[in-house]
Amino acid sequence: MTGQKRQLYRSSWLLALAMSQGMLAASADELVPAELAPGVARYALDTGHLAPVIALAPTLTGDSADYLRARVLLSSGQTQEAKAVLEGVFASNAHRAEAALELARLAVAEGDSSAAVRWYQEASRVGFGEIRQQAVFGLAETARSQGQADSAGQYLASMDDGYWAAVGYMNLAADFAKQDLNPSRALVALRVAMAMAVKDQDRTRSRDLLDQLYLRAGFLSVRTEEYDKATDFLEKVSLESYATPQALYLHGLALSERGNYRAAMQSWHRAKKFPLAFPGVSDAWLGMGRGYDLAGYPGQAGESWLAANAAYEGERVTLGKLAERVRQDGAYKALVEDARGADAQWFLADSRTLTQPRLAYLLRFLEQPGAQAAVQRVAQLDDLSLTLEGRKHDLDVFIRAMEGHLGEVGNRSGSAEQAMLKDMNEQLRDSLARIRDKVTLPDQSSKLGNLERRLQASAQRLGSLQQRASGQSRVIDAQLRHARQLHAATRRLQAQVSQVRVSASAILDRKVLAFVATEQQRMVHALDKTEQQIAHLYEYLALENIEEGTR
Amino acid sequence: MKTLFGKQKSQYCRISPWNRGLWVSGILAALVTTSVAATSLDEQIERLTAEVTRHSASVHALEQQLLHPVNTRVAVFLTLQNRQALDLDSVELFLNDQPVASHLYSATERASLEQGGVQQLFIGNLADGSHQLKAVVNARSVNKRFVRRELEHRFEKRSGTLRLQMTLDARAPDYEPDVTFREWK
Repeated sequence: MTGQKRQLYRSSWLLALAMSQGMLAASADELVPAELAPGVARYALDTGHLAPVIALAPTLTGDSADYLRARVLLSSGQTQEAKAVLEGVFASNAHRAEAALELARLAVAEGDSSAAVRWYQEASRVGFGEIRQQAVFGLAETARSQGQADSAGQYLASMDDGYWAAVGYMNLAADFAKQDLNPSRALVALRVAMAMAVKDQDRTRSRDLLDQLYLRAGFLSVRTEEYDKATDFLEKVSLESYATPQALYLHGLALSERGNYRAAMQSWHRAKKFPLAFPGVSDAWLGMGRGYDLAGYPGQAGESWLAANAAYEGERVTLGKLAERVRQDGAYKALVEDARGADAQWFLADSRTLTQPRLAYLLRFLEQPGAQAAVQRVAQLDDLSLTLEGRKHDLDVFIRAMEGHLGEVGNRSGSAEQAMLKDMNEQLRDSLARIRDKVTLPDQSSKLGNLERRLQASAQRLGSLQQRASGQSRVIDAQLRHARQLHAATRRLQAQVSQVRVSASAILDRKVLAFVATEQQRMVHALDKTEQQIAHLYEYLALENIEEGTR
Repeated sequence: MKTLFGKQKSQYCRISPWNRGLWVSGILAALVTTSVAATSLDEQIERLTAEVTRHSASVHALEQQLLHPVNTRVAVFLTLQNRQALDLDSVELFLNDQPVASHLYSATERASLEQGGVQQLFIGNLADGSHQLKAVVNARSVNKRFVRRELEHRFEKRSGTLRLQMTLDARAPDYEPDVTFREWK
């Protein structure tokens, strides 16, 4: 066993010991009524505030109890335990489809495709609505990833219109586009996907997917030289979408192929407003010069290419600085944290996303699934670190307060104060008893009854106060010991988290630096192209001058 | 893909096939090592997440015991009765005219409440006796109206934990927000 593992086991043993003392269950059970507990657990799971419900999970009752317990286990990283509970849920009468879907996802994550297919089939058999759609989509994706396009198509055909079917057809279209020389099969699949996406009730999700679909259809149409069709598709892409810059470039390309250079340059000019990180933007800069050249304005063409050259050079400097910052501060700080910008107002957030170079590079980087996992790892560890820091601060406060309180309890008996309060209580009860005989109205009687009950409760609490107070220092002492144990566990966990973060951060840094190097290479290629164009232009102008001279 | 300016100039092969083989196997080995490292890292992160979650729960329980002694504890829970009628924007809570809790709802929180989630809106301490709870609800009703309502409830606090459930409702045709209170024994 390695040192790190030994440490992990030791701290988990300590925590298990702390939990076995019954501190958790007692607190949660008393606070939340049993009837509300499943709802409280559901809300906590949905909103990601797990701490208050960990103790609640064992006390849950009702049909959803086991399913919620499994979700708590999954959210707290106990996958194997969650799997066993989910299998139990599937064998029961409630939440069967949800359990099967979760099990299928776990099987996919473990790379066990036959188990994934089995659980997806179970989920589609017993589920309905969105759950069934997700299960059938999972089956179609598994078949597609195994190269069985026909089988994937059959699954998709059995789905209801909506988001999941649309995504399925979009992925199928991507496969067809890779395999076929003629894109007609891919275009048909994309058209079906568009029809399905329109039926999605979630308008934002539907709009985003439709933008992707129009862009892909436009691209395929440009590739087969069907420019009218391409412009029809591309004009439907929203101007505030992630797909906008590429759509604008392709739109300009389709227009220029039809000889409409002026309109093409308008599209490219709009694409130029976006950061060079987005696909199509560097081509749009080049296109501007080409447009002027073809329209018969060689001087303007030269200026445009020189401007493109300057933009690419500037971008190389930006990328160089980004790489330097990644090496200095780490990729997570340089690319993810700094891209957030704490000063951004929420109403500016959307427009900022598409116009800031660093955010644009972050979005491009995150297009790779491996990159998402690498960023998520560091983010998760930072989140754990933040949680532990908060807990450590809380425990510091509790320990100080309890130490102070123990000192006070030791110095104070409070018996004189208690005797005085007891006297006062008795006097008040006598006074009430004297008034009781004179009361005639029911309203007065009820008020008096209320006061009597409150006095009785106070007398009971005063009576048991001495006994409770004597036990108090014992309780606080136990709590103080427990808090100190937790404090030590916090420090150990903090050390482990920061150790794992170093490894996670190194993986992310390597990925980001490789990505930045690829982007720099892309800029070098773009520079080569503009320089080539400028050289052609000067050569042409020189030949023209010679020709004019000979005339 | 068709580009504006034709194909890129073809590059000459600068690496001999033998060296290329070495490079390819080196890159593959590096990729496999990275992937194995990432998998073991994921396992470590999962284990740490489980431990930190349990640890946070222990601290939370200790906090509850220390800050909210059972005898004086008051907890207020929020639920939705008619799940489609109201889009909740915010809830403010006042105990004896003192603001004690306010919450602005995100889309996720709203969706969770609509699917039967119960929010633990407030936990605090109160002395025994008669008290007043005021809830200010800001919401959008299903008929696209913005509504703000102040609702009051008087209750008696006795020794032991008091659990109050606030249920928000709005009924057709006017979708006027209404809150019912229930005390759990």
